[in-house]
Amino acid sequence: MGYVAVKGGTAAIEESIKRLRYERLKDEKVIEVETIKSCMRGLIDQIMSEGSLYSRDLAALAIKQAEGNPEEATFLIRAYRSTLPRKHYSRTIDPEDMRVERRISAAFKDIPGGQILGADYDYTHRLLDFDLYNENLADIREWINKYTGTPAVDCRQSSGKLPKVIDLLRTEGLIAQAANDDTEPQDVTRESIRFPTTRSQRLQILTRGETGAVTALGYAAIRGYGILHPTVGELRVGYLPVYIDYPIANSNTDEDAVYIGEIQVTEVESLIPEVKEKKMGRKEIEFCIGYGICYGQNETKAIAMSVLDNCLEKSHINSPVHNEEFVLMHIDCVEATGFISHLKLPHYVTFQSKLDSVRKTKRWEEEE
Amino acid sequence: MKRKRRTTILVKGNEQTAKLLADEIINKYPVTTIQKPDNGLIMLKMRESSQKKLFYLGEVLVTECKVQVAGVLGVGIVQDDKPEMAYHLAVIDAAYNAGLAETEKWERILVEEEKRILDREANERVSLLKTRVNFETMDAQGSVNDEI
Repeated sequence: MGYVAVKGGTAAIEESIKRLRYERLKDEKVIEVETIKSCMRGLIDQIMSEGSLYSRDLAALAIKQAEGNPEEATFLIRAYRSTLPRKHYSRTIDPEDMRVERRISAAFKDIPGGQILGADYDYTHRLLDFDLYNENLADIREWINKYTGTPAVDCRQSSGKLPKVIDLLRTEGLIAQAANDDTEPQDVTRESIRFPTTRSQRLQILTRGETGAVTALGYAAIRGYGILHPTVGELRVGYLPVYIDYPIANSNTDEDAVYIGEIQVTEVESLIPEVKEKKMGRKEIEFCIGYGICYGQNETKAIAMSVLDNCLEKSHINSPVHNEEFVLMHIDCVEATGFISHLKLPHYVTFQSKLDSVRKTKRWEEEE
Repeated sequence: MKRKRRTTILVKGNEQTAKLLADEIINKYPVTTIQKPDNGLIMLKMRESSQKKLFYLGEVLVTECKVQVAGVLGVGIVQDDKPEMAYHLAVIDAAYNAGLAETEKWERILVEEEKRILDREANERVSLLKTRVNFETMDAQGSVNDEI
Protein backbone atom coordinates (compact mmCIF):
# COMPACT_ATOMS: atom_id res chain seq x y z
CA MET A 1 0.00 0.00 0.00
CA GLY A 2 1.47 3.35 -1.07
CA TYR A 3 1.38 6.62 0.87
CA VAL A 4 -1.04 9.28 -0.32
CA ALA A 5 -0.60 12.90 0.70
CA VAL A 6 -3.94 14.49 1.57
CA LYS A 7 -5.18 17.90 2.54
CA GLY A 8 -8.52 19.24 3.59
CA GLY A 9 -10.55 20.06 6.60
CA THR A 10 -10.04 23.85 6.43
CA ALA A 11 -13.77 24.58 6.31
CA ALA A 12 -14.45 22.05 9.06
CA ILE A 13 -11.74 23.61 11.26
CA GLU A 14 -13.20 27.09 10.76
CA GLU A 15 -16.63 25.79 11.74
CA SER A 16 -15.11 23.99 14.76
CA ILE A 17 -13.60 27.26 15.98
CA LYS A 18 -17.01 28.95 15.60
CA ARG A 19 -18.54 26.05 17.53
CA LEU A 20 -16.02 26.55 20.33
CA ARG A 21 -16.97 30.23 20.53
CA TYR A 22 -20.64 29.26 20.52
CA GLU A 23 -20.09 26.88 23.46
CA ARG A 24 -18.56 29.77 25.44
CA LEU A 25 -21.32 32.24 24.58
CA LYS A 26 -24.47 30.18 24.04
CA ASP A 27 -25.98 30.94 27.47
CA GLU A 28 -25.60 34.67 26.70
CA LYS A 29 -23.67 35.30 29.89
CA VAL A 30 -20.54 37.42 30.02
CA ILE A 31 -18.02 37.09 32.82
CA GLU A 32 -15.83 40.17 33.18
CA VAL A 33 -12.06 39.70 33.42
CA GLU A 34 -12.18 41.90 36.52
CA THR A 35 -14.73 39.51 38.06
CA ILE A 36 -12.44 36.54 37.40
CA LYS A 37 -9.55 38.50 38.90
CA SER A 38 -11.53 39.23 42.04
CA CYS A 39 -13.31 35.91 42.49
CA MET A 40 -10.98 33.17 41.22
CA ARG A 41 -7.88 33.77 43.30
CA GLY A 42 -6.89 30.09 43.53
CA LEU A 43 -7.10 29.44 39.80
CA ILE A 44 -5.27 32.67 38.95
CA ASP A 45 -2.44 31.73 41.32
CA GLN A 46 -2.18 28.30 39.72
CA ILE A 47 -2.09 29.69 36.17
CA MET A 48 0.53 32.34 37.04
CA SER A 49 2.69 29.69 38.68
CA GLU A 50 2.43 27.11 35.90
CA GLY A 51 2.62 29.79 33.22
CA SER A 52 5.73 31.15 34.97
CA LEU A 53 4.47 34.69 34.43
CA TYR A 54 3.27 36.89 37.28
CA SER A 55 0.33 38.92 36.03
CA ARG A 56 -3.11 38.59 37.58
CA ASP A 57 -4.65 40.48 34.63
CA LEU A 58 -3.24 38.17 31.99
CA ALA A 59 -4.05 35.05 34.03
CA ALA A 60 -7.67 36.22 34.39
CA LEU A 61 -7.91 36.90 30.65
CA ALA A 62 -6.45 33.46 29.86
CA ILE A 63 -8.95 31.83 32.22
CA LYS A 64 -11.83 33.59 30.46
CA GLN A 65 -10.58 32.60 27.02
CA ALA A 66 -9.95 29.01 28.12
CA GLU A 67 -13.36 28.77 29.83
CA GLY A 68 -11.64 27.88 33.09
CA ASN A 69 -9.55 25.07 31.63
CA PRO A 70 -6.21 25.33 33.51
CA GLU A 71 -4.03 23.55 30.94
CA GLU A 72 -5.35 25.72 28.11
CA ALA A 73 -4.97 28.91 30.17
CA THR A 74 -1.38 27.98 31.08
CA PHE A 75 -0.62 27.29 27.41
CA LEU A 76 -2.00 30.74 26.46
CA ILE A 77 0.15 32.44 29.12
CA ARG A 78 3.31 30.60 28.08
CA ALA A 79 2.64 31.40 24.42
CA TYR A 80 2.10 35.10 25.15
CA ARG A 81 5.15 35.22 27.38
CA SER A 82 7.27 33.96 24.49
CA THR A 83 6.31 37.04 22.43
CA LEU A 84 7.51 39.56 25.02
CA PRO A 85 11.08 40.84 25.34
CA ARG A 86 12.89 40.20 28.59
CA LYS A 87 13.89 43.70 29.54
CA HIS A 88 15.67 43.21 32.84
CA TYR A 89 16.65 40.85 35.62
CA SER A 90 15.59 41.67 39.16
CA ARG A 91 18.01 42.32 41.96
CA THR A 92 18.28 39.25 44.15
CA ILE A 93 15.02 38.76 46.05
CA ASP A 94 15.55 37.63 49.61
CA PRO A 95 12.61 35.71 51.12
CA GLU A 96 13.41 37.29 54.50
CA ASP A 97 12.02 40.56 53.10
CA MET A 98 8.55 39.04 52.84
CA ARG A 99 5.59 41.07 54.09
CA VAL A 100 3.93 38.09 55.73
CA GLU A 101 0.17 37.48 55.48
CA ARG A 102 0.13 33.93 56.74
CA ARG A 103 2.75 31.96 58.60
CA ILE A 104 2.50 28.62 60.33
CA SER A 105 4.87 25.97 61.63
CA ALA A 106 4.05 22.30 62.08
CA ALA A 107 7.31 21.82 63.98
CA PHE A 108 6.92 24.30 66.84
CA LYS A 109 3.88 25.62 68.62
CA ASP A 110 5.46 28.86 69.80
CA ILE A 111 7.55 30.66 67.22
CA PRO A 112 8.84 34.24 67.41
CA GLY A 113 6.12 36.41 65.91
CA GLY A 114 3.53 33.70 66.44
CA GLN A 115 1.50 31.49 64.16
CA ILE A 116 -0.55 33.70 61.88
CA LEU A 117 -3.33 31.80 60.16
CA GLY A 118 -4.18 34.49 57.62
CA ALA A 119 -6.70 33.30 55.02
CA ASP A 120 -6.91 29.59 54.30
CA TYR A 121 -9.47 26.83 53.71
CA ASP A 122 -7.78 24.56 56.27
CA TYR A 123 -10.01 25.79 59.09
CA THR A 124 -13.33 25.57 57.28
CA HIS A 125 -15.83 22.76 57.05
CA ARG A 126 -15.74 21.38 53.54
CA LEU A 127 -19.50 21.66 53.18
CA LEU A 128 -21.14 23.22 50.14
CA ASP A 129 -22.52 26.63 51.04
CA PHE A 130 -25.87 26.83 49.26
CA ASP A 131 -26.30 30.44 50.41
CA LEU A 132 -23.78 31.43 47.74
CA TYR A 133 -26.47 30.79 45.12
CA ASN A 134 -28.16 33.96 46.38
CA GLU A 135 -25.18 36.14 47.29
CA ASN A 136 -25.79 39.79 46.53
CA LEU A 137 -23.71 42.95 46.52
CA ALA A 138 -25.60 44.70 49.33
CA ASP A 139 -25.00 41.80 51.72
CA ILE A 140 -21.35 41.61 50.69
CA ARG A 141 -20.83 45.34 51.38
CA GLU A 142 -22.52 45.08 54.74
CA TRP A 143 -20.30 42.12 55.70
CA ILE A 144 -17.11 43.87 54.54
CA ASN A 145 -17.97 47.04 56.49
CA LYS A 146 -18.62 44.99 59.59
CA TYR A 147 -15.41 42.98 59.18
CA THR A 148 -13.10 45.87 58.42
CA GLY A 149 -14.72 47.98 61.12
CA THR A 150 -14.01 45.45 63.87
CA PRO A 151 -11.57 46.80 66.51
CA ALA A 152 -8.25 45.14 65.81
CA VAL A 153 -5.36 43.88 67.89
CA ASP A 154 -3.06 46.80 68.64
CA CYS A 155 0.24 45.78 67.09
CA ARG A 156 1.24 48.66 64.83
CA GLN A 157 4.89 48.50 65.79
CA SER A 158 5.34 45.25 63.83
CA SER A 159 7.02 45.65 60.42
CA GLY A 160 5.42 42.56 58.91
CA LYS A 161 8.80 40.85 58.62
CA LEU A 162 9.30 37.82 60.83
CA PRO A 163 12.38 35.79 61.81
CA LYS A 164 12.72 32.39 60.15
CA VAL A 165 12.31 29.22 62.15
CA ILE A 166 15.19 27.53 60.31
CA ASP A 167 17.54 30.36 61.24
CA LEU A 168 16.85 29.63 64.89
CA LEU A 169 17.64 25.96 64.30
CA ARG A 170 20.80 26.98 62.45
CA THR A 171 21.91 29.03 65.44
CA GLU A 172 21.54 25.91 67.59
CA GLY A 173 23.62 23.85 65.11
CA LEU A 174 20.73 21.52 64.32
CA ILE A 175 20.86 22.57 60.67
CA ALA A 176 24.12 23.03 58.77
CA GLN A 177 25.15 26.66 58.29
CA ALA A 178 25.04 27.94 54.72
CA ALA A 179 26.81 31.00 53.33
CA ASN A 180 25.35 32.99 50.44
CA ASP A 181 26.35 31.42 47.12
CA ASP A 182 26.21 34.08 44.40
CA THR A 183 26.86 31.75 41.47
CA GLU A 184 24.69 33.00 38.59
CA PRO A 185 21.70 30.69 38.14
CA GLN A 186 21.03 28.85 34.90
CA ASP A 187 17.80 29.56 33.08
CA VAL A 188 15.85 26.57 31.74
CA THR A 189 13.84 28.85 29.44
CA ARG A 190 17.02 29.85 27.63
CA GLU A 191 19.11 26.71 27.74
CA SER A 192 18.00 23.06 27.52
CA ILE A 193 18.82 21.06 30.60
CA ARG A 194 21.38 18.27 30.68
CA PHE A 195 21.64 15.67 33.39
CA PRO A 196 22.81 15.91 36.08
CA THR A 197 21.10 19.28 36.54
CA THR A 198 22.14 22.16 38.77
CA ARG A 199 20.14 23.19 41.80
CA SER A 200 19.01 26.41 40.08
CA GLN A 201 17.60 24.42 37.16
CA ARG A 202 15.79 21.98 39.45
CA LEU A 203 14.16 24.72 41.50
CA GLN A 204 13.06 26.64 38.40
CA ILE A 205 11.46 23.55 36.85
CA LEU A 206 9.78 22.55 40.11
CA THR A 207 8.30 26.00 40.77
CA ARG A 208 6.73 26.16 37.28
CA GLY A 209 5.59 22.53 37.43
CA GLU A 210 1.96 21.52 37.05
CA THR A 211 0.30 21.61 40.47
CA GLY A 212 -1.25 18.16 40.20
CA ALA A 213 1.94 16.53 38.91
CA VAL A 214 4.15 18.11 41.59
CA THR A 215 1.62 17.13 44.27
CA ALA A 216 1.32 13.54 42.98
CA LEU A 217 5.07 12.97 42.93
CA GLY A 218 5.51 14.67 46.31
CA TYR A 219 2.83 12.37 47.69
CA ALA A 220 4.54 9.32 46.14
CA ALA A 221 7.78 10.37 47.86
CA ILE A 222 6.10 10.45 51.26
CA ARG A 223 3.94 7.36 50.72
CA GLY A 224 6.77 4.99 49.99
CA TYR A 225 9.15 6.06 47.22
CA GLY A 226 11.25 8.59 49.06
CA ILE A 227 11.74 10.35 52.39
CA LEU A 228 9.68 9.07 55.28
CA HIS A 229 7.82 12.07 56.68
CA PRO A 230 8.96 15.65 56.40
CA THR A 231 7.85 18.24 58.95
CA VAL A 232 6.84 21.67 57.72
CA GLY A 233 9.27 23.86 59.63
CA GLU A 234 7.62 26.97 58.28
CA LEU A 235 5.04 27.85 55.66
CA ARG A 236 4.62 31.46 54.66
CA VAL A 237 2.35 33.33 52.31
CA GLY A 238 3.14 36.94 51.66
CA TYR A 239 4.48 39.64 49.39
CA LEU A 240 8.05 40.12 48.20
CA PRO A 241 9.23 43.47 46.82
CA VAL A 242 10.85 43.46 43.37
CA TYR A 243 13.66 45.87 42.51
CA ILE A 244 15.90 46.21 39.47
CA ASP A 245 19.18 48.03 39.04
CA TYR A 246 18.68 51.47 37.52
CA PRO A 247 18.97 50.64 33.81
CA ILE A 248 20.20 53.87 32.24
CA ALA A 249 23.22 54.55 34.40
CA ASN A 250 24.63 51.03 34.93
CA SER A 251 24.10 51.64 38.60
CA ASN A 252 23.95 48.72 40.99
CA THR A 253 23.80 50.39 44.38
CA ASP A 254 20.93 49.46 46.67
CA GLU A 255 19.69 53.03 47.15
CA ASP A 256 19.61 53.65 43.40
CA ALA A 257 17.45 50.59 42.72
CA VAL A 258 14.06 50.94 41.04
CA TYR A 259 10.99 49.48 42.76
CA ILE A 260 8.63 47.97 40.21
CA GLY A 261 6.04 46.23 42.42
CA GLU A 262 5.52 43.14 44.56
CA ILE A 263 4.67 39.50 44.05
CA GLN A 264 2.70 37.17 46.29
CA VAL A 265 4.34 33.80 46.93
CA THR A 266 3.96 30.71 49.08
CA GLU A 267 7.24 29.55 50.61
CA VAL A 268 7.88 26.32 52.50
CA GLU A 269 10.85 24.97 54.38
CA SER A 270 10.42 21.30 55.27
CA LEU A 271 12.64 19.64 57.83
CA ILE A 272 13.90 16.16 57.05
CA PRO A 273 16.11 14.30 59.56
CA GLU A 274 19.19 12.68 58.04
CA VAL A 275 21.95 10.57 59.56
CA LYS A 276 25.40 12.07 58.94
CA GLU A 277 28.64 10.10 59.27
CA LYS A 278 31.12 11.87 61.54
CA LYS A 279 34.69 11.09 62.60
CA MET A 280 35.52 7.65 64.03
CA GLY A 281 32.34 6.17 62.54
CA ARG A 282 30.20 8.26 64.85
CA LYS A 283 26.76 9.02 63.51
CA GLU A 284 24.80 12.20 64.09
CA ILE A 285 21.29 13.18 63.09
CA GLU A 286 20.95 16.54 61.38
CA PHE A 287 18.01 18.21 59.75
CA CYS A 288 18.07 18.88 56.01
CA ILE A 289 15.82 21.50 54.46
CA GLY A 290 13.55 20.85 51.52
CA TYR A 291 12.69 24.13 49.81
CA GLY A 292 9.46 24.97 48.01
CA ILE A 293 8.14 28.22 46.59
CA CYS A 294 5.59 29.23 44.01
CA TYR A 295 3.62 32.25 42.82
CA GLY A 296 0.43 33.08 44.70
CA GLN A 297 -1.12 31.04 47.48
CA ASN A 298 -0.69 27.40 46.51
CA GLU A 299 0.36 25.63 49.69
CA THR A 300 0.00 22.03 48.55
CA LYS A 301 2.28 22.66 45.59
CA ALA A 302 4.90 24.48 47.65
CA ILE A 303 4.98 21.68 50.26
CA ALA A 304 5.20 19.00 47.57
CA MET A 305 7.98 20.97 45.89
CA SER A 306 9.93 21.05 49.15
CA VAL A 307 9.63 17.26 49.37
CA LEU A 308 10.80 16.77 45.78
CA ASP A 309 13.63 19.28 46.23
CA ASN A 310 15.01 17.16 49.04
CA CYS A 311 14.51 13.93 47.06
CA LEU A 312 16.41 15.32 44.06
CA GLU A 313 19.30 16.36 46.28
CA LYS A 314 19.73 12.62 46.96
CA SER A 315 19.90 11.33 43.41
CA HIS A 316 21.98 8.29 44.47
CA ILE A 317 18.85 6.65 45.91
CA ASN A 318 17.30 4.23 43.46
CA SER A 319 13.68 5.38 43.35
CA PRO A 320 11.59 7.26 40.75
CA VAL A 321 11.17 10.37 42.90
CA HIS A 322 14.95 10.58 43.41
CA ASN A 323 15.50 10.30 39.64
CA GLU A 324 15.75 13.85 38.31
CA GLU A 325 15.06 12.83 34.73
CA PHE A 326 11.83 11.11 35.84
CA VAL A 327 10.66 14.04 37.96
CA LEU A 328 11.83 17.07 35.99
CA MET A 329 10.87 15.86 32.53
CA HIS A 330 7.30 14.98 33.46
CA ILE A 331 5.94 17.79 35.64
CA ASP A 332 5.76 20.62 33.11
CA CYS A 333 2.14 21.35 32.22
CA VAL A 334 2.70 22.49 28.64
CA GLU A 335 5.13 19.70 27.79
CA ALA A 336 3.03 16.94 29.34
CA THR A 337 -0.36 18.09 28.03
CA GLY A 338 1.19 18.97 24.67
CA PHE A 339 2.61 15.51 24.19
CA ILE A 340 -0.54 13.76 25.33
CA SER A 341 -2.66 16.04 23.13
CA HIS A 342 -0.56 15.33 20.06
CA LEU A 343 -2.05 11.84 20.12
CA LYS A 344 -5.26 13.46 18.79
CA LEU A 345 -3.47 14.66 15.66
CA PRO A 346 -3.71 12.59 12.47
CA HIS A 347 -1.40 9.58 12.60
CA TYR A 348 -2.86 8.13 9.41
CA VAL A 349 0.45 7.15 7.83
CA THR A 350 2.10 5.68 10.92
CA PHE A 351 -1.10 3.87 11.88
CA GLN A 352 -1.49 2.46 8.35
CA SER A 353 2.04 1.12 8.64
CA LYS A 354 1.15 -0.57 11.95
CA LEU A 355 -2.06 -1.89 10.41
CA ASP A 356 -0.11 -3.39 7.50
CA SER A 357 2.18 -5.15 9.96
CA VAL A 358 -0.78 -6.55 11.91
CA ARG A 359 -2.45 -7.75 8.68
CA LYS A 360 0.74 -9.42 7.49
CA THR A 361 1.12 -11.18 10.85
CA LYS A 362 -2.47 -12.38 10.67
CA ARG A 363 -1.95 -13.62 7.07
CA TRP A 364 1.18 -15.56 8.06
CA GLU A 365 -0.71 -17.16 10.94
CA GLU A 366 -3.51 -18.22 8.56
CA GLU A 367 -1.05 -19.59 6.00
CA GLU A 368 0.75 -21.61 8.67
CA MET B 1 15.24 61.48 48.09
CA LYS B 2 17.00 58.41 46.71
CA ARG B 3 15.53 56.54 43.78
CA LYS B 4 14.67 53.36 45.71
CA ARG B 5 12.55 55.16 48.28
CA ARG B 6 11.02 57.50 45.71
CA THR B 7 9.95 54.76 43.28
CA THR B 8 8.60 52.66 46.15
CA ILE B 9 6.37 55.53 47.27
CA LEU B 10 5.21 56.36 43.75
CA VAL B 11 4.41 52.76 42.77
CA LYS B 12 2.82 51.74 46.08
CA GLY B 13 0.99 55.01 46.50
CA ASN B 14 -2.01 56.53 44.80
CA GLU B 15 -1.43 56.73 41.04
CA GLN B 16 -2.82 60.29 41.14
CA THR B 17 0.28 61.37 43.07
CA ALA B 18 2.57 60.30 40.20
CA LYS B 19 0.21 62.01 37.73
CA LEU B 20 0.21 65.21 39.78
CA LEU B 21 4.01 65.42 39.85
CA ALA B 22 4.46 64.43 36.19
CA ASP B 23 1.82 66.91 34.99
CA GLU B 24 3.71 69.73 36.68
CA ILE B 25 6.72 68.94 34.49
CA ILE B 26 4.72 68.20 31.33
CA ASN B 27 3.02 71.62 31.61
CA LYS B 28 6.31 73.51 31.96
CA TYR B 29 8.94 71.69 29.91
CA PRO B 30 9.11 69.99 26.53
CA VAL B 31 8.96 66.23 27.05
CA THR B 32 10.30 63.98 24.30
CA THR B 33 9.22 60.35 24.31
CA ILE B 34 12.26 58.19 23.54
CA GLN B 35 10.51 54.87 24.06
CA LYS B 36 6.73 54.66 24.15
CA PRO B 37 5.34 52.61 27.04
CA ASP B 38 5.57 48.97 26.04
CA ASN B 39 5.23 45.63 27.74
CA GLY B 40 8.09 43.34 28.60
CA LEU B 41 9.30 40.94 31.24
CA ILE B 42 11.56 41.00 34.24
CA MET B 43 13.10 37.69 35.27
CA LEU B 44 13.06 37.30 39.04
CA LYS B 45 16.30 36.18 40.64
CA MET B 46 15.69 34.61 44.02
CA ARG B 47 17.81 33.32 46.88
CA GLU B 48 16.48 30.11 48.38
CA SER B 49 16.84 29.74 52.12
CA SER B 50 18.01 26.12 52.24
CA GLN B 51 21.48 26.27 50.66
CA LYS B 52 21.36 30.05 50.04
CA LYS B 53 21.84 29.59 46.30
CA LEU B 54 20.30 31.66 43.51
CA PHE B 55 17.65 30.51 41.03
CA TYR B 56 15.08 32.03 38.70
CA LEU B 57 11.57 32.05 40.13
CA GLY B 58 9.82 33.16 36.93
CA GLU B 59 8.97 36.35 35.13
CA VAL B 60 6.74 39.31 35.87
CA LEU B 61 4.92 41.51 33.35
CA VAL B 62 6.06 45.14 33.32
CA THR B 63 5.53 48.33 31.33
CA GLU B 64 8.58 50.44 30.52
CA CYS B 65 8.86 53.95 29.11
CA LYS B 66 11.74 56.34 28.43
CA VAL B 67 11.48 60.11 28.03
CA GLN B 68 13.74 63.16 27.87
CA VAL B 69 13.01 66.28 29.90
CA ALA B 70 15.28 69.29 29.32
CA GLY B 71 17.50 66.94 27.31
CA VAL B 72 17.94 64.53 30.20
CA LEU B 73 16.82 60.90 30.06
CA GLY B 74 14.44 59.28 32.53
CA VAL B 75 12.95 55.82 32.76
CA GLY B 76 9.69 54.55 34.21
CA ILE B 77 9.13 50.85 34.89
CA VAL B 78 6.12 49.42 36.68
CA GLN B 79 4.53 46.03 37.20
CA ASP B 80 1.58 45.03 34.94
CA ASP B 81 0.21 46.80 31.88
CA LYS B 82 0.17 50.42 33.05
CA PRO B 83 1.28 52.66 30.16
CA GLU B 84 0.16 55.94 31.72
CA MET B 85 1.85 55.18 35.04
CA ALA B 86 5.09 54.15 33.29
CA TYR B 87 5.07 57.45 31.37
CA HIS B 88 4.51 59.49 34.52
CA LEU B 89 7.30 57.63 36.34
CA ALA B 90 9.65 58.28 33.43
CA VAL B 91 8.87 62.02 33.46
CA ILE B 92 9.46 62.20 37.23
CA ASP B 93 12.71 60.24 36.90
CA ALA B 94 13.96 62.56 34.15
CA ALA B 95 13.03 65.61 36.26
CA TYR B 96 15.14 64.28 39.14
CA ASN B 97 18.02 63.39 36.78
CA ALA B 98 17.89 66.93 35.37
CA GLY B 99 17.88 68.39 38.88
CA LEU B 100 14.82 70.54 38.15
CA ALA B 101 13.78 72.96 40.90
CA GLU B 102 10.27 71.44 41.05
CA THR B 103 11.68 68.22 42.50
CA GLU B 104 12.76 69.96 45.71
CA LYS B 105 9.22 70.69 46.83
CA TRP B 106 8.09 67.16 45.89
CA GLU B 107 9.88 65.84 48.97
CA ARG B 108 7.01 66.90 51.22
CA ILE B 109 4.36 65.37 48.94
CA LEU B 110 6.26 62.09 48.75
CA VAL B 111 6.81 61.90 52.51
CA GLU B 112 3.07 62.45 53.07
CA GLU B 113 2.27 59.71 50.55
CA GLU B 114 4.74 57.42 52.30
CA LYS B 115 2.93 58.00 55.60
CA ARG B 116 -0.37 56.99 53.99
CA ILE B 117 1.24 53.82 52.60
CA LEU B 118 2.76 52.92 55.98
CA ASP B 119 -0.59 53.55 57.70
CA ARG B 120 -2.40 51.38 55.18
CA GLU B 121 0.11 48.54 55.57
CA ALA B 122 0.00 48.86 59.36
CA ASN B 123 -3.79 48.60 59.27
CA GLU B 124 -3.54 45.47 57.12
CA ARG B 125 -1.05 43.96 59.57
CA VAL B 126 -3.25 44.79 62.52
CA SER B 127 -6.19 43.14 60.79
CA LEU B 128 -4.10 40.05 59.97
CA LEU B 129 -2.87 39.75 63.52
CA LYS B 130 -6.43 38.96 64.55
CA THR B 131 -5.67 35.53 63.05
CA ARG B 132 -2.61 35.02 65.28
CA VAL B 133 -3.02 31.94 67.45
CA ASN B 134 -2.99 32.29 71.21
CA PHE B 135 -2.21 28.81 72.45
CA GLU B 136 -3.34 27.81 75.88
CA THR B 137 -0.13 26.20 77.03
CA MET B 138 -0.64 22.87 78.80
CA ASP B 139 3.08 22.01 79.05
CA ALA B 140 6.44 23.42 78.01
CA GLN B 141 6.92 21.07 75.03
CA GLY B 142 7.05 22.29 71.48
CA SER B 143 8.26 25.82 72.03
CA VAL B 144 11.02 27.01 69.77
CA ASN B 145 12.00 29.44 72.51
CA ASP B 146 12.20 26.69 75.09
CA GLU B 147 14.04 24.23 72.92
CA ILE B 148 16.47 26.52 71.16
